[in-house]
Amino acid sequence: MKALEVLRTVERTVLVVLFLSMVALYTGSVVTREIGGTFASRFAWIEEAVRIMNLFLVFLALGLALERVKHVGITNLRDRLPEGVLTWVRRVMDLTGLVFSVYVAWLALGLVQFVLRSGQSSPTLGVPMGVIYMAPIAGFLLLGLRYGLSLFGVIDRFSAQKESEA
Amino acid sequence: MIVIVVILALVLLGLGFEMLLVLGVPALAWKELAHGTLPDAAVVQKIVGGIDHSTLLAIPFFIFAAHLMGSGQIARQLVGVVKALIGHTRGGIGHVVVGGSMAFGSVSGSAPATVAAMGRMVYPEMRAAGWSDRTSLGLLVASAETALLIPPSITLIVYGWITGTSISRLFAGGLAVGLVLGLAFAAYVSWQARKQGVTRGPRLGWGARGRAIWDAKWALGMPVIILGGIYSGTITPTEAAAVSVVYAILVETLVFRALDLRGLVKVTEDSAINTAIIFVLLAIGGLISFFVTLAQIPAGIIAMLEAANAGPVMFLIAVNVCFFIAGMFIDPNSTLLVLVPPLYPVAMSLGIDPVHFGMVVTLNVCIGMITPPFGLDIFVASSTLEKPVSDIIRGVWPFVLVNILVLLIITYVPGVSLLVPNLIFG
Amino acid sequence: QEFVAKIGHLESTAQSRHVHLEKVAELVKERTNGAVEFQIFPQGQLGNQRQMTEGTQLGTQEATVAPAAFLGGFNPVVSVLDIPYLIPEGDAALTLLDGPFGEQLLDSFSEKGLVALDLWPNGTKQFTSNQPLDDLAAFEGQKFRVMDSSILIEQFNALGASAIALPFGELYTSLQTGVVDGEENPLDTIFNMKFFEVQDYLVKSDHGAMVDVVLFNPMFWDSLPDEYKTVITDAFAEVIPELVAHKAEAVDAAMTAIEEAGTNTRVADDAERAALREAMFGPASAAYVEMAGDAGQAVLDTYETEYETLQ
Ligand code: NA
Ligand code: NA
Repeated sequence: MKALEVLRTVERTVLVVLFLSMVALYTGSVVTREIGGTFASRFAWIEEAVRIMNLFLVFLALGLALERVKHVGITNLRDRLPEGVLTWVRRVMDLTGLVFSVYVAWLALGLVQFVLRSGQSSPTLGVPMGVIYMAPIAGFLLLGLRYGLSLFGVIDRFSAQKESEA
Repeated sequence: MIVIVVILALVLLGLGFEMLLVLGVPALAWKELAHGTLPDAAVVQKIVGGIDHSTLLAIPFFIFAAHLMGSGQIARQLVGVVKALIGHTRGGIGHVVVGGSMAFGSVSGSAPATVAAMGRMVYPEMRAAGWSDRTSLGLLVASAETALLIPPSITLIVYGWITGTSISRLFAGGLAVGLVLGLAFAAYVSWQARKQGVTRGPRLGWGARGRAIWDAKWALGMPVIILGGIYSGTITPTEAAAVSVVYAILVETLVFRALDLRGLVKVTEDSAINTAIIFVLLAIGGLISFFVTLAQIPAGIIAMLEAANAGPVMFLIAVNVCFFIAGMFIDPNSTLLVLVPPLYPVAMSLGIDPVHFGMVVTLNVCIGMITPPFGLDIFVASSTLEKPVSDIIRGVWPFVLVNILVLLIITYVPGVSLLVPNLIFG
Repeated sequence: QEFVAKIGHLESTAQSRHVHLEKVAELVKERTNGAVEFQIFPQGQLGNQRQMTEGTQLGTQEATVAPAAFLGGFNPVVSVLDIPYLIPEGDAALTLLDGPFGEQLLDSFSEKGLVALDLWPNGTKQFTSNQPLDDLAAFEGQKFRVMDSSILIEQFNALGASAIALPFGELYTSLQTGVVDGEENPLDTIFNMKFFEVQDYLVKSDHGAMVDVVLFNPMFWDSLPDEYKTVITDAFAEVIPELVAHKAEAVDAAMTAIEEAGTNTRVADDAERAALREAMFGPASAAYVEMAGDAGQAVLDTYETEYETLQ
């Protein structure tokens, strides 16, 4: 499971760097405005950059959130099911999650290609706008990976849940 | 067709699927069944569109700040100050939640951010003071609603823009209605405090109180920076959120030494995951509200109302019902955009004051945030406090009732909404 | 109906753009005997302008009527319209937009996956602030909120002012508390968004023309029979005089209401407008050419030629 460990480290590092950079940039834009003059005008791109970074932050955290049993759901009814039925419900859940995630990622891929082809770029940074739809591709693939690993028993996201609720 | 999709959603909900699947899978099914000709990639466009708003950025930043304060010393010290001041009153900490949410919600303008921040700070204290888990959770979630009413409020600005109503008048009305809502929660807290036998702290002398304040000087810098920064016109509420993260990092690491690098990384990571859990639901909400918009459901409701020749009272009841149902399924901002444009002209033709109508609408949006299945604030509380959604729902329903009671008063006594704006602006 | 087009835009239902879109929808329905239906979605119900324009390319929606100022990311050439004092006042504006300059702009969308049908004039921007705006020198050091646009940033830099990017939704409160001093918008927007409630000074400078571009999805457009295309194109062109009159009335009403609300308003005279143009036009054009390249230069050349003949 070396590969999975490496993946987790990459995910965590990216999230931490992204979030801290967002905070630093937004605070920085306050400082440049206090300095004022045409100097402040040079940092008009920050707002746009942070908005794009936030999209990546959100989607890239989806997989880790599933692994750590953080996603919200209403589980009381399920918890009352007999063990035999429960096993099947869990399999259906994982399978649904896997199919859903991979399908959305695939749709996002189509959108990225379309938007890159159309040549749309962001107004102040000039970044190709197709980039923002790469966030859901990566995010839903990471999420789908976790659903898949759970389905095939590589990770156990359900007993972890029991522990966290105990 | 709609029946199949709703049943699908209910089955997934009942089986305890992740909320993102409970909302997302039926939404995809609806796309296939009802909008076959729509390009598939539109799904992703609307999902990203649901969260690609600058005004939502305050939420991740305030979540981050709340995690930092909760993991370090700031939250404990802030609560310590309040306990020193009013800890001896019955239900003291409960009132702190109401007052704190009103103050924090006022500036942050975001109910989810308020739930996150207040929750991390005062939930453990409420439990320690003897409050039941249910009431603690319910109160935290519900009192955050005042964020949308007490100015500044983006919700009121959006309403003002859609309808052309004076924003200053709306802010004045929102202040009054927000206070009424806060007082109603405070009254419920007093009643429950007696019922639950919540403990009282000792009454402190002014010397001890002064010392408590002095000891918490670094922690008190936090509200000073947020409130002072915004009201002095130095920063916007979203920037205040980012600045409060920087302040919390500096104070917790350098002054209190409560966090080391490893701790900071952990908090950052947890905050990112917390943000993602909430935003993915908002994102899928963006897709659902797109379908609701295309269905032009509100126009159908208006036609029915007109056919029934409804008067103002009937109309306002219908408005309450529409928002209540919409608020069950779609996110607050979308509810406003979908429902207000068709309803507003009818309200005007019935002689309802625009500010009054705005208050009715905003209170309805508030209730929508705390009613299941799509109650954004319920999910925020669940993920920041690591509590099952069902516990929050159990705790929140008495507050939904209080909220509905306030809604009825606001709806049928226009004076409550209009007194302050009329006093100030004539 | 055989053809249904979802048309999204940002304005509220009482504003000129929406009122005349409804009119176009009516005309088209009548003249195609109900075969073509336009469903109008106002106020960003279908998303913000970027999402609506992208949705029009994609076919999520069939059309959008977008202010040119929001289209630079899709088609940098159209940002020429962001240059202050580009469009002359009065009837000359319509002549310019109707002529080779306008044609060239519309054509530039075809390689961007969009059919640009028409240009709708939609008012001019004015400056407001909480600091006096007595003359050109008064702008120096003030902070103005701008839209995401390098040209508009240069416009304010040319006046020695700071250009600050703020979300539209946060602008009212930011003007109220003083995060920024001022902003620029058309008079009816200043009135509708109630910015005048939190601004002490307004100068009617008419410095930036707001031009709407009518954009259709190419697949949808190509699927229409030629006769319907003609009906639609004519309907959009036909309502322009009415649109201009409606806008003028809204602007006058807004000006009166803003004056009555106690905001200090004044109208910049010809000399002041010439001075403002002198200061801002050059730097803004340079920023435009840097952004839009040779294609931009070509459009600017066409503009210069046309502008000469209008003088
Ligand atoms: Na507020
Ligand atoms: Na709800």
